[in-house]
Amino acid sequence: MRLIEGPISPAAISEIIFRGGTNTDSGAHSLFLGQVRKDLVDGKSVKAIEYSAYEEMVMMEANKILKSVMSEFTDVISIEILHSKGFVNAGEISLAVMVTSGHREQAIRACAKLVELIKEKLPIWKKEILEDDSEKWKQE
Amino acid sequence: MGINVLFFGVLTEVTGTHRKHYRGISSFSDLKYRIRDDFPGIENYNFRIAVNNRIVNEDPVLNDNDEVAYMPPFTGG
Repeated sequence: MRLIEGPISPAAISEIIFRGGTNTDSGAHSLFLGQVRKDLVDGKSVKAIEYSAYEEMVMMEANKILKSVMSEFTDVISIEILHSKGFVNAGEISLAVMVTSGHREQAIRACAKLVELIKEKLPIWKKEILEDDSEKWKQE
Repeated sequence: MGINVLFFGVLTEVTGTHRKHYRGISSFSDLKYRIRDDFPGIENYNFRIAVNNRIVNEDPVLNDNDEVAYMPPFTGG
Protein backbone atom coordinates (compact mmCIF):
# COMPACT_ATOMS: atom_id res chain seq x y z
CA MET A 1 0.00 0.00 0.00
CA ARG A 2 1.34 3.38 -0.99
CA LEU A 3 -0.12 6.85 -0.64
CA ILE A 4 0.95 8.98 -3.58
CA GLU A 5 0.88 12.76 -3.70
CA GLY A 6 -1.48 13.82 -6.51
CA PRO A 7 -2.94 11.57 -9.23
CA ILE A 8 -1.78 8.00 -9.88
CA SER A 9 0.26 8.40 -13.06
CA PRO A 10 0.18 6.03 -16.03
CA ALA A 11 3.85 5.34 -15.22
CA ALA A 12 2.99 4.21 -11.68
CA ILE A 13 0.25 1.95 -13.05
CA SER A 14 2.64 0.52 -15.67
CA GLU A 15 5.14 -0.17 -12.92
CA ILE A 16 2.74 -2.30 -10.84
CA ILE A 17 1.69 -4.22 -13.97
CA PHE A 18 5.34 -4.83 -14.78
CA ARG A 19 6.15 -5.97 -11.22
CA GLY A 20 3.18 -8.37 -11.19
CA GLY A 21 4.36 -9.83 -14.48
CA THR A 22 7.75 -10.77 -13.09
CA ASN A 23 6.21 -13.70 -11.18
CA THR A 24 5.94 -16.59 -13.62
CA ASP A 25 3.66 -18.65 -11.33
CA SER A 26 0.88 -16.15 -11.95
CA GLY A 27 -1.69 -16.59 -14.68
CA ALA A 28 -3.97 -13.66 -13.95
CA HIS A 29 -3.90 -10.02 -12.92
CA SER A 30 -7.01 -8.09 -12.01
CA LEU A 31 -6.61 -4.31 -12.09
CA PHE A 32 -9.11 -1.78 -10.74
CA LEU A 33 -8.68 1.94 -11.39
CA GLY A 34 -10.77 4.56 -9.60
CA GLN A 35 -11.13 7.92 -11.34
CA VAL A 36 -12.31 11.29 -10.06
CA ARG A 37 -15.75 11.83 -11.55
CA LYS A 38 -17.00 15.24 -12.67
CA ASP A 39 -20.12 15.05 -10.51
CA LEU A 40 -22.63 17.85 -10.27
CA VAL A 41 -22.89 19.20 -6.71
CA ASP A 42 -25.41 21.97 -5.99
CA GLY A 43 -25.54 22.59 -9.73
CA LYS A 44 -21.76 23.01 -10.02
CA SER A 45 -19.36 20.50 -11.47
CA VAL A 46 -16.54 18.94 -9.48
CA LYS A 47 -13.19 19.97 -10.91
CA ALA A 48 -10.97 18.18 -8.42
CA ILE A 49 -10.89 16.24 -5.17
CA GLU A 50 -8.53 16.89 -2.31
CA TYR A 51 -7.77 13.70 -0.41
CA SER A 52 -6.57 13.70 3.17
CA ALA A 53 -5.57 10.67 5.19
CA TYR A 54 -4.65 9.56 8.67
CA GLU A 55 -1.53 8.06 7.17
CA GLU A 56 -0.25 5.97 10.05
CA MET A 57 -3.64 4.34 10.53
CA VAL A 58 -4.09 3.88 6.76
CA MET A 59 -0.92 1.78 6.73
CA MET A 60 -1.99 -0.29 9.75
CA GLU A 61 -5.49 -0.92 8.37
CA ALA A 62 -4.14 -1.67 4.90
CA ASN A 63 -1.89 -4.34 6.36
CA LYS A 64 -4.88 -5.93 8.09
CA ILE A 65 -6.88 -5.85 4.84
CA LEU A 66 -4.00 -7.39 2.88
CA LYS A 67 -3.57 -10.19 5.41
CA SER A 68 -7.28 -11.02 5.52
CA VAL A 69 -7.63 -11.06 1.71
CA MET A 70 -4.46 -13.14 1.27
CA SER A 71 -5.75 -15.69 3.78
CA GLU A 72 -9.25 -15.82 2.22
CA PHE A 73 -7.98 -16.12 -1.37
CA THR A 74 -5.12 -18.60 -1.22
CA ASP A 75 -4.46 -18.51 -4.97
CA VAL A 76 -3.48 -14.82 -4.69
CA ILE A 77 0.27 -14.21 -5.07
CA SER A 78 0.56 -10.46 -4.65
CA ILE A 79 -1.47 -7.30 -4.14
CA GLU A 80 -0.62 -3.70 -4.98
CA ILE A 81 -2.64 -0.72 -3.74
CA LEU A 82 -1.90 2.89 -4.72
CA HIS A 83 -4.12 5.66 -3.34
CA SER A 84 -3.80 9.38 -3.89
CA LYS A 85 -3.42 12.06 -1.27
CA GLY A 86 -3.70 15.76 -2.01
CA PHE A 87 -5.26 17.13 -5.20
CA VAL A 88 -6.54 14.99 -8.05
CA ASN A 89 -8.37 16.59 -10.99
CA ALA A 90 -11.56 15.22 -12.53
CA GLY A 91 -10.63 12.56 -15.05
CA GLU A 92 -7.45 11.56 -13.21
CA ILE A 93 -6.87 8.29 -11.38
CA SER A 94 -6.94 8.30 -7.57
CA LEU A 95 -6.91 4.57 -6.78
CA ALA A 96 -5.19 1.58 -8.35
CA VAL A 97 -5.59 -1.96 -7.02
CA MET A 98 -3.89 -4.88 -8.70
CA VAL A 99 -4.24 -8.50 -7.64
CA THR A 100 -2.02 -11.18 -9.11
CA SER A 101 -2.98 -14.81 -8.72
CA GLY A 102 -2.54 -18.22 -10.24
CA HIS A 103 -5.93 -18.16 -11.95
CA ARG A 104 -8.46 -15.50 -12.94
CA GLU A 105 -11.35 -16.32 -10.63
CA GLN A 106 -9.65 -15.40 -7.35
CA ALA A 107 -7.85 -12.43 -8.92
CA ILE A 108 -11.20 -10.89 -9.91
CA ARG A 109 -13.02 -11.71 -6.66
CA ALA A 110 -10.15 -10.60 -4.42
CA CYS A 111 -9.77 -7.34 -6.34
CA ALA A 112 -13.48 -6.53 -5.96
CA LYS A 113 -13.34 -7.32 -2.26
CA LEU A 114 -10.24 -5.15 -1.76
CA VAL A 115 -11.89 -2.12 -3.36
CA GLU A 116 -14.85 -2.46 -0.97
CA LEU A 117 -12.57 -2.88 2.05
CA ILE A 118 -10.44 0.11 1.03
CA LYS A 119 -13.53 2.31 0.94
CA GLU A 120 -14.88 0.92 4.20
CA LYS A 121 -11.77 0.60 6.36
CA LEU A 122 -9.15 3.15 5.35
CA PRO A 123 -9.26 6.53 7.13
CA ILE A 124 -9.19 8.70 4.02
CA TRP A 125 -11.45 11.67 3.30
CA LYS A 126 -12.30 13.56 0.16
CA LYS A 127 -13.17 17.20 -0.25
CA GLU A 128 -14.73 18.18 -3.55
CA ILE A 129 -13.42 21.34 -5.21
CA LEU A 130 -16.15 22.80 -7.42
CA GLU A 131 -15.85 24.81 -10.62
CA ASP A 132 -16.22 28.13 -8.76
CA ASP A 133 -13.49 27.07 -6.27
CA SER A 134 -15.99 26.49 -3.48
CA GLU A 135 -15.35 23.34 -1.45
CA LYS A 136 -17.56 20.62 -0.08
CA TRP A 137 -16.62 17.69 2.15
CA LYS A 138 -17.95 14.48 0.71
CA GLN A 139 -20.43 12.86 3.12
CA GLU A 140 -21.22 9.18 2.92
CA MET B 1 -1.63 13.53 31.49
CA GLY B 2 -1.12 15.06 28.06
CA ILE B 3 -3.09 13.85 25.05
CA ASN B 4 -2.56 14.67 21.37
CA VAL B 5 -5.86 15.02 19.57
CA LEU B 6 -6.18 14.89 15.79
CA PHE B 7 -9.21 15.98 13.76
CA PHE B 8 -9.90 14.83 10.22
CA GLY B 9 -12.17 15.59 7.29
CA VAL B 10 -14.99 18.02 7.93
CA LEU B 11 -14.03 18.12 11.61
CA THR B 12 -10.94 20.17 10.74
CA GLU B 13 -13.34 22.90 9.66
CA VAL B 14 -15.60 22.52 12.68
CA THR B 15 -12.62 22.85 15.03
CA GLY B 16 -10.47 25.11 12.87
CA THR B 17 -7.49 22.85 13.46
CA HIS B 18 -5.98 19.50 12.60
CA ARG B 19 -4.20 18.95 15.90
CA LYS B 20 -4.58 20.08 19.48
CA HIS B 21 -2.66 19.10 22.60
CA TYR B 22 -4.57 18.78 25.85
CA ARG B 23 -2.87 18.89 29.24
CA GLY B 24 -4.16 17.74 32.61
CA ILE B 25 -6.54 15.13 31.23
CA SER B 26 -7.76 12.65 33.84
CA SER B 27 -9.72 10.21 31.68
CA PHE B 28 -11.20 9.60 28.25
CA SER B 29 -14.54 11.08 29.28
CA ASP B 30 -12.76 14.13 30.70
CA LEU B 31 -11.09 14.58 27.29
CA LYS B 32 -14.39 14.18 25.43
CA TYR B 33 -16.04 16.83 27.61
CA ARG B 34 -13.11 19.21 27.14
CA ILE B 35 -13.31 18.80 23.36
CA ARG B 36 -17.07 19.27 23.36
CA ASP B 37 -16.68 22.44 25.43
CA ASP B 38 -14.01 23.79 23.08
CA PHE B 39 -15.91 22.89 19.90
CA PRO B 40 -19.64 22.65 20.67
CA GLY B 41 -20.49 22.21 16.98
CA ILE B 42 -18.71 18.87 16.88
CA GLU B 43 -21.71 17.12 18.42
CA ASN B 44 -23.69 17.77 15.23
CA TYR B 45 -21.41 15.45 13.25
CA ASN B 46 -20.99 11.71 13.04
CA PHE B 47 -17.55 10.52 13.96
CA ARG B 48 -15.62 7.60 15.31
CA ILE B 49 -12.69 7.85 17.67
CA ALA B 50 -9.36 6.04 17.41
CA VAL B 51 -6.77 5.82 20.14
CA ASN B 52 -3.25 5.17 18.85
CA ASN B 53 -4.63 4.15 15.44
CA ARG B 54 -7.27 1.76 16.76
CA ILE B 55 -10.97 2.52 16.68
CA VAL B 56 -12.52 2.38 20.15
CA ASN B 57 -16.16 1.66 20.85
CA GLU B 58 -16.10 2.01 24.61
CA ASP B 59 -14.22 4.50 26.73
CA PRO B 60 -10.63 3.23 26.87
CA VAL B 61 -8.01 3.88 29.51
CA LEU B 62 -5.75 6.66 28.27
CA ASN B 63 -2.04 6.96 28.93
CA ASP B 64 0.20 9.99 28.83
CA ASN B 65 0.99 11.08 25.24
CA ASP B 66 -1.66 8.89 23.65
CA GLU B 67 -2.94 10.02 20.24
CA VAL B 68 -6.71 10.35 19.96
CA ALA B 69 -8.24 10.85 16.50
CA TYR B 70 -11.72 12.20 15.72
CA MET B 71 -12.72 10.72 12.38
CA PRO B 72 -15.87 11.39 10.33
CA PRO B 73 -17.13 8.58 8.06
CA PHE B 74 -14.41 7.49 5.63
CA THR B 75 -14.85 8.58 2.01
CA GLY B 76 -11.69 7.30 0.32
CA GLY B 77 -11.42 5.38 -2.90
